[in-house]
Amino acid sequence: MKRREFIKDLTLGSFLLSSSSGFLFSQKTPDLALIQGESPTQITKEAISALGGIQKFVSKGDQVLVKPNIGWDRRPEQAACTNPKVVQAIVELCLEGGAKKVKVMDHSINPAQRTYVRSGIKEAAKKAGAQVPYPNKHRLRKTAIHGAQLNEWEVYTDFLQADKLINVPIAKTHSLTRLTLGMKNWLGAIGGNRNLLHQNINQAMIDLSEFFKPALTVLDAYRILIRNGPQGGRLSDTKLHKTVVAGVDYVAVDAMGATFFNIEPSQLPFLQMAHKKGLGEIRLNRLNIEKRKV
Amino acid sequence: MKKEKSKKYRLIQILRILFQLFFFFLFFYLLLKTRFPGGDYIGNVEIFFHFDPLLALTTLIAARALFLSFIFSAITLGVTLILGRVACGWACPLGAVHQFFSFLFKKTKLHRPKKSQTPKTVWKYYILVFILISAVFTVDLVGILDPLSFLTRSFTTGILPALSFLYSGMMDVLYQLKLYSLGDSLYQFFTSLDLNAVFLQGFFLALLLAGFVLLNLYKERFWCRYVCPLGALLALVSRWNILKLKIDPQKCIQCNLCTLHCETQATPFPEEHWKSSECVYCFTCSAICPTGAIQFPLKASPESVESIDLSRRKLIFTSLLGFLTFPLFRISPSTEKTSPKLIRPPGALPEKKFLQRCVKCGECMKVCPTNALQPVFSEAGPEGLWTPKLVPQIGYCEYYCSLCTQVCPTGAIQELSVEQKTEVKIGTAWVNKSRCIPYTLGTPCIVCEEHCPTSPKAIQLVKTEVKRPDGTVEVPVAPVIDTEQCTGCGICENKCPVVDEPAIYVTSIGEDRSEENQLLLDVIQPGKNIYK
Repeated sequence: MKRREFIKDLTLGSFLLSSSSGFLFSQKTPDLALIQGESPTQITKEAISALGGIQKFVSKGDQVLVKPNIGWDRRPEQAACTNPKVVQAIVELCLEGGAKKVKVMDHSINPAQRTYVRSGIKEAAKKAGAQVPYPNKHRLRKTAIHGAQLNEWEVYTDFLQADKLINVPIAKTHSLTRLTLGMKNWLGAIGGNRNLLHQNINQAMIDLSEFFKPALTVLDAYRILIRNGPQGGRLSDTKLHKTVVAGVDYVAVDAMGATFFNIEPSQLPFLQMAHKKGLGEIRLNRLNIEKRKV
Repeated sequence: MKKEKSKKYRLIQILRILFQLFFFFLFFYLLLKTRFPGGDYIGNVEIFFHFDPLLALTTLIAARALFLSFIFSAITLGVTLILGRVACGWACPLGAVHQFFSFLFKKTKLHRPKKSQTPKTVWKYYILVFILISAVFTVDLVGILDPLSFLTRSFTTGILPALSFLYSGMMDVLYQLKLYSLGDSLYQFFTSLDLNAVFLQGFFLALLLAGFVLLNLYKERFWCRYVCPLGALLALVSRWNILKLKIDPQKCIQCNLCTLHCETQATPFPEEHWKSSECVYCFTCSAICPTGAIQFPLKASPESVESIDLSRRKLIFTSLLGFLTFPLFRISPSTEKTSPKLIRPPGALPEKKFLQRCVKCGECMKVCPTNALQPVFSEAGPEGLWTPKLVPQIGYCEYYCSLCTQVCPTGAIQELSVEQKTEVKIGTAWVNKSRCIPYTLGTPCIVCEEHCPTSPKAIQLVKTEVKRPDGTVEVPVAPVIDTEQCTGCGICENKCPVVDEPAIYVTSIGEDRSEENQLLLDVIQPGKNIYK
């Protein structure tokens, strides 16, 4: 066979292969999966399977740390903490996908003994087979973050030792950052005097997100907090949105989340800054998004 | 004559020890359970107090209030009436502590019992009379020396915190030794116990218990002999009981061992000097008697027993002293004006009524999930010593929690549902603009607003012009307080990043329970008060 023919065959073959694969799997893996539906469990599982299944993110024998928002002493219907069913579904998937151990934890704001219970997350995650330890101050370690604002900071070693991090924030309003989504969720992985971070919160969020770099972000927008964030209180502060967004590009996930509050992603300084830094995409029209209702 | 100890009374003694262990550990278990139960309501973890007739009586006298839960104290009274002070010897957890250490000191020869029968056991009766007379004049001092209050308070504010620091130190060692998994599981276990670790005066309150324990070196069960006002009350009731000491004169060899080793100075020998009211029925005498001469037969017919020799003169003197506490204990500015730092727990009765009921037991301080409730030293005057106050710099009032209101044994903190509690205002937050970050530096902060638990938030963020040192003007948002919406929970003060002296702080003004300590004209309206 001549070289030219070989190349021709190769191109043709690969073209045929790729188009046939497109034929078989309808399309290539999307950047974001946005799934809506009645069951938080189902839409969560559906979103991850749309991204190619949990095995794309979790390998056999991995130690996985799932990081929900368990910050507040509030019940699930108040939408201040991540929906426990979403957390449960992710833990189940991880273990089914061969993870050796799944830990679920958060450095809560109200006492963890209360928030873990009243958020419903401890029970749900344990039922799925995860360990749900209280944040242990003896496991804090001064760690080099190498960020523009945070050079070093105390981090829970649980997050450093895990093979894979899965960020599971809930979408809420916030008076300083306007919204708290995935990137702000990392404030729950660290110790130290966190309340000082608010003086340069956007940069702090970017430094931490870049440092932790989750394997997957699953944004819980089943019930979102549209008022009085980040705690809410009344049911009227929440809105049923019945959506979950999943993606590897955590900036894109947050950008998608912003639209649920009718906010243009570029209007959020932390997204704008993250995008400029090349951490992810905020122009949603450039993204391949799989939207579905189940 | 055959020398043989009584096997029967040895067994009874062992049974008594088992009872004491059971009640002590029940007490300890319930105290440990006095924490967030996983739901909104906690159950009767304070049940011990309701068996205490002294608390029932003083609450009745001082507060002129019948608190229904104290119905259980009738059982204690009934048992004492029939069987004497068995409650002291068999059930009291503080009695068990003192007996244990007395035993320990005696075994280790640190304490050698002496024959002398001084000091006299009457002191505790004077203490009782003093407490009761003070109560008549609405000064409720019972909590200082009531054994259950004393023990609960000492454990809550002293022993358990010491324990938690001990484990914290141990944990450091474990992690230094790289025993991570052991350290981790221990940490998870202790964290689940939810022990509050820091208390104002905690050191001194622990020292007080230690002091009384050490006094057992001087006399066995020193507390029970000379101090305990509950013991004194039960002694007065026990005089007609049917469980009476009887020495068999045929067997008695007059060795005096029984009187020497009597835990409470009841002088079993000679029989006619035996003080039924001092006896706590530990059965040490009957078990120790080398000839088994001492029996406790049941006798329905009342016998002439040596009555408590209260001197009339001293009784009058004590009563007079009790009368004097009333004016003396009120020489305090707190009588006229509430201290800004005296933030009472939600549901606390108006101050006067509160002081008449609070028995300073520290149950509320134990159950508080954020360690916020602390023993008062001076803010509430002498009678308010060791009553609870909220110290926002240490902890805050958790919004959806009403546990302290549920565990209060006397209703000094009125029981509230979680829903009712969220409506209660215990104080008001204020911004110190000369320390607040946005107001002084012009940089963003919002931490207080973020943590404010009410909806809508009592802290609103408003754009404010701020001059920076170089003269430039910044317009950050800065916290402004909606006084009416604020519940005074103190989380803003607790979380303020200006940690040494927070730029936002809570004072007691505006507290729902007070009619005087008010600020807003339109809030003072009839029908709003839940304490009616």
